[in-house]
Amino acid sequence: MIGSFFKIDNIEKSFGGNKVINGFSLDVAENTLQCLIGPNGAGKTTTIDLISGRQKPDSGKVYLNGDDITGRGEHEISRLGIGRKFQIPAVLKGLTVRENLEVAYSREVNALRNMFSMKAKGCKEMLGEISEQVRLTKRLNVEAGLLSHGETQWLEIGMVLMQDPAILLLDEPVAGMTESEIGLTVDILNKLKRSHTIILVEHDMGFVRKIADVVTVLHMGAQLAQGSIEEIEKDPRVRAVYLGTEDAH
Amino acid sequence: MTQNLYHNKTLQWLFYIIAFGFLGLVPLISDDEFLLNQLATYAVYGMLAVSISLCWGSGGILNMGQGIAFGLGAYCMAMTMQMQTQADGTIPPFMLNNGLDSLPLLWVPFQDTTTGIIMALVVPTAFYLIFGGIMFTARVSGPFFAIMTLATLSAFATIFVDLQAYTNGVNGISPPGSLNLGDMEIDPYSSGTYWFVFAMLLVCTFAAKLINQSRFGLIVRALKDDPERVRFLGYNVAVYETLVYTLSGLIAAIAGCCFAVLTQYVSPAQFNVGFSISIVIWAAIGGRNSLIWAMFGAFTVQGAQSYVGDQFLNTWILILGFSFILVVRFLPGGVAGFVETILDRFTKPEVEPDPVDLKISDAKEVAK
Repeated sequence: MIGSFFKIDNIEKSFGGNKVINGFSLDVAENTLQCLIGPNGAGKTTTIDLISGRQKPDSGKVYLNGDDITGRGEHEISRLGIGRKFQIPAVLKGLTVRENLEVAYSREVNALRNMFSMKAKGCKEMLGEISEQVRLTKRLNVEAGLLSHGETQWLEIGMVLMQDPAILLLDEPVAGMTESEIGLTVDILNKLKRSHTIILVEHDMGFVRKIADVVTVLHMGAQLAQGSIEEIEKDPRVRAVYLGTEDAH
Repeated sequence: MTQNLYHNKTLQWLFYIIAFGFLGLVPLISDDEFLLNQLATYAVYGMLAVSISLCWGSGGILNMGQGIAFGLGAYCMAMTMQMQTQADGTIPPFMLNNGLDSLPLLWVPFQDTTTGIIMALVVPTAFYLIFGGIMFTARVSGPFFAIMTLATLSAFATIFVDLQAYTNGVNGISPPGSLNLGDMEIDPYSSGTYWFVFAMLLVCTFAAKLINQSRFGLIVRALKDDPERVRFLGYNVAVYETLVYTLSGLIAAIAGCCFAVLTQYVSPAQFNVGFSISIVIWAAIGGRNSLIWAMFGAFTVQGAQSYVGDQFLNTWILILGFSFILVVRFLPGGVAGFVETILDRFTKPEVEPDPVDLKISDAKEVAK
């Protein structure tokens, strides 16, 4: 495991006797876009929970840069450079769009030091850039709770970008987006993966086809297949459990 | 970009300065010593409302036991004042009545005025730090935390009644003289003392306002919305919650000290559950999200209680309860929320995002 950038080693997790993750392993190289696909209940979101510290695995290890980060607190894992976007967009509804982005700019997390700081250094420039990127420049003073669903998705993507983590965990980032909005997300992600590692959970195969470097298929909490999107689409086992039930073009 | 004037920071500060300027001028208008003492007591209530606004309004931490810090601060201060009037080697008379013949260890630090005042601030703050730390690292929040504060408050009330030999039980401590600082006597019925308490209120409110506007304040408001999300951004939520709770405790402790100096009396009534809940009601009526409006809430409700409440006697509690229900139902943001809504009417709507932009690209997509 030394040398690999990010590695999940044989993790297991049960909820009330129901084994949701069953010996799943994953090796992700730096600056690649790794897609996790699989039918409902395959354990995709649970995997993201286990990486980001929301859940602790029953057994198995998670490594970042060779360091064991298994079972650490959410805020610690986030500080190590793993940022997360939730499946149901989680923005801070009572705060304005600008404040949401400012909170996400978490370079300084020390509470005492933040008490004596009015503005974070470099935040304003980055905020301008990113609000442009996610098309929220004109909405900065709006309360986040008043945004449309699409805008909320963009805001959360913007928040993850402000956080600027080494690894981005994106849980269904394009759910509820229009075609043109999805196109924009594809552009942003393709640009991002030059300097970031992205692990993305998705249902939309058309979207996956446009962005994925490596696709891993999860089934019953374990890895069923892994490879390029072409290889995955040809794989008969995958077709049987997953693609066979959907129109794969 | 048009913005609701209510949210304009410069105007907010201007409003604070004008309001405090006016409050500071009161002793120049009136030299009624009784009135000044009473108004200074209101300033103490104002501090308590500010402290609740800081932890409940900003941080969403409903604290129904603010009397803990208030009472501890007041007791420590009263003990210091009591010891100032004791001749060397003598002990307070109530201890003799309760069968003690030497000063108990608990009272020893209060023989020295400086140590006593430091204790009055450190004891409540340290308690909040430990209590808050235990609760928030275990992720106790919302109504569960409120109930814990309430239960702890009741425990304090019981302990202070029961430890009669040390606290004089239900009778409380009434130091025979006023506080002396060096050669200066702090006469509770004087404009000087009014200004001192007023200055404390000003310092607490402005400090709380600065904290609200800092990065810390921003993160505290964020965790009120969704602590989980804030955690995933790398912030240790428990530390932020504990700190904002402790700071509000420090303000309440200062209020307790001032209260003991002003009234020269402290009793388990300071740990009364009803009193702590009324602090929450003051803040709710004035507007918990605004420090200064929470403070006005305290002034208004307590002022009304003194001048109108006497005529209604026990009915007053019913009136207070009913106005609380009205506020919760019709003015969830209190008077401050009402002012915000009114000012919103005068605000031009925000520029809407340009829908044309999206439609054109949609059309292109379809054309493909």
